[in-house]
Amino acid sequence: MAPNTPSDRPSGDAPPAALLRRAHFLMRLSRAWDSRFESMARAGRIGRWYSAVGNEATTIGTALCLNAGDALSTVHRDLGAVLTTYLDVTRLAPSLFDASEATSWDAMRPDAQPLLDRLACQVFGREAGFTRGHDRSFHYGLIKPAWGIRHVGMISHLGSMIPVASGLALAAVQDGTKAAVLGFIGEGATSQGDFHEALNLVGVMKLPMILVVENNQYAFSTALDEQYACAKLSDRAAGYGIAGETVDGTDFEAVWAAMTRAVERAREGKGGTLLECMLPRMRGHAEGDGSYELIPQAERERFLTMDPLPRFEARLTALGLLDAARIERVTATATEIIEATVERALASPEPAVSEAWRSVFAPGEVADAFARQHSEVNHG
Amino acid sequence: MAETTYIDAIRRGLLEEMERDAAVFLMGQDIARFGGAFRATKGLYERFGRLRVVNTPLFESGAIGAALGAALAGKRPVVEMQFADFVSCGFNQIVNNLAKTYYRWEAEVPVVVRLPYGGGVGAGPFHSQSPEAWFAHTPGLAVVAPSTPRDAIGLMKSAIRDPNPVIYLEHRVLYRREKEDLGEGDLTTPLGRARIAREGSDVTVLTWGWTVHEALDAAAEAAKSGVSVEVVDLRTLVPLDEETVFAAAKKTGKIVVVHEATTTAGYGAELVARLADLCFEHLDGPILRVAYPDRPSPYNKNLEKELLPGKAKILDAVRRLARY
Repeated sequence: MAPNTPSDRPSGDAPPAALLRRAHFLMRLSRAWDSRFESMARAGRIGRWYSAVGNEATTIGTALCLNAGDALSTVHRDLGAVLTTYLDVTRLAPSLFDASEATSWDAMRPDAQPLLDRLACQVFGREAGFTRGHDRSFHYGLIKPAWGIRHVGMISHLGSMIPVASGLALAAVQDGTKAAVLGFIGEGATSQGDFHEALNLVGVMKLPMILVVENNQYAFSTALDEQYACAKLSDRAAGYGIAGETVDGTDFEAVWAAMTRAVERAREGKGGTLLECMLPRMRGHAEGDGSYELIPQAERERFLTMDPLPRFEARLTALGLLDAARIERVTATATEIIEATVERALASPEPAVSEAWRSVFAPGEVADAFARQHSEVNHG
Repeated sequence: MAETTYIDAIRRGLLEEMERDAAVFLMGQDIARFGGAFRATKGLYERFGRLRVVNTPLFESGAIGAALGAALAGKRPVVEMQFADFVSCGFNQIVNNLAKTYYRWEAEVPVVVRLPYGGGVGAGPFHSQSPEAWFAHTPGLAVVAPSTPRDAIGLMKSAIRDPNPVIYLEHRVLYRREKEDLGEGDLTTPLGRARIAREGSDVTVLTWGWTVHEALDAAAEAAKSGVSVEVVDLRTLVPLDEETVFAAAKKTGKIVVVHEATTTAGYGAELVARLADLCFEHLDGPILRVAYPDRPSPYNKNLEKELLPGKAKILDAVRRLARY
């Protein structure tokens, strides 16, 4: 496969029907989550929401190529990849899936609903969230080898997790596993030095890492022509000696096929891939922050026609895998699950104020010495 | 018995920990066949191979970020900055990623960042700095600075074993100058524990790194004129061993804080603040600071020597304070 070839259609095997049905549910679940949180953001019930609407084919299409034990590094529009990685959908939505559709990874995964509840609590900063109120939304990590989940969340410095993802890939090489690392980043962060430093390491050490650039054409309010001057961001791959591809990120099958090729290269020790997924910016940077309104009206309208979800549903309908009744059932089930999840999370307790005094050090000599200091003894 | 230099003690610490724990690995520029700019890792590549002595491209942020990722995957990376000055290029990864991960999501981040630091060799503004205060200010980082071969190996071994990020400052002037017989055995040094380098009863000097030796020389000189100086080698700056430091301060009531780093907002300022707060009633004079003037380190050796806070300046402060 020649690098840097835009592929509108998958050239390899088509994704299996079961995977497509799972993808459809996950897309609907992600969309239901966004709808709920967008409306809460509009009503002022949460401070900030970064919508993943428009990114689902990319995040879910790539994450569905991972195996248990692979690593995932996400930023703020990657809800789809998180749901895909965490959830045994056959247990979450038994009315939609046969138990026979459970994968071997599903057998390792914990019960899906409590994990989804924790995710919602995380977003609300509640006690049951992954950080117990210490950091916001997708700023957490969940590393549970027994579940096959190795997920590293973000810090607000957007390019900073690319080197971290490369370190996860380095560890895979050191351990001689066939694990791959999937990292996400927006096109804005490709201008940061960490992007260059990390991809150079991936190239030099042939690390099994796939960096997906979710190029939604606006970084906060900055358009592409103010962000970079190359024709395609995947052109940069050649400069790192890694594979590069640009695909239509709203085309689930194209994303899945490109990612399948990239993961295969990674597992075969052939090195990393820079996979640029072209996406429409269908929402503001955060909901209600004014950045959406800066996008020219005609472009906004064009972006709205690029929604990956109806496109995917039309495609699956054409393939005979969906019909109107199933779409309705999937949508209703996803909405019910999210509604109930959000209600439970909103009713869940805030962390105790004493949580603020959590040690900055993991237990050991340093933590003991830290606790002996006067300032800690008196405040803690 | 053969004496071990400070840099060989660092190497022995790395080697023993790599043999003890397969998760320990090294990353840095020129550290493999070349053995590092100062040869601290000489011979380790031949022993452990390219996946445990990882020669990296010229980068700092990428190295520290990758170390964090590897640590999250169960490794215990030791990252060599070629010179401490260059750590500024990895600053964000240290203060925002390494330092905050445990508090945010309770994941252990056992990463050691080695910083060959300090001046005194006419190396100019970008190969001479003492950057400990940059990191002492950030919650979530342990900061250590050995002054002897014994503590160089001991703090290295303890730092590698601790589940937290540790900034390890190793002074370049001490690398081959300081030697001692280490003997055999598993030589750890407890983190968060200061060391009384010399006992005394009139004035207490609080310091770390290269200036420990300057303070000891000043103390020997002061003794000739009947001034008894206690020298405390902090060894660990963060977390501070207040028990030892405060006891030594209260013992004499006269305290000189000495460091090679520049003066304003240096770590000495933190010591002074804590002493003023918690030992005030035991003080018999002002707390003096002997530190580098607020300037970059000049290239010309005579110019640098003019600014370095060495034995003579410490002795002067000790004598002034002793007269109180």
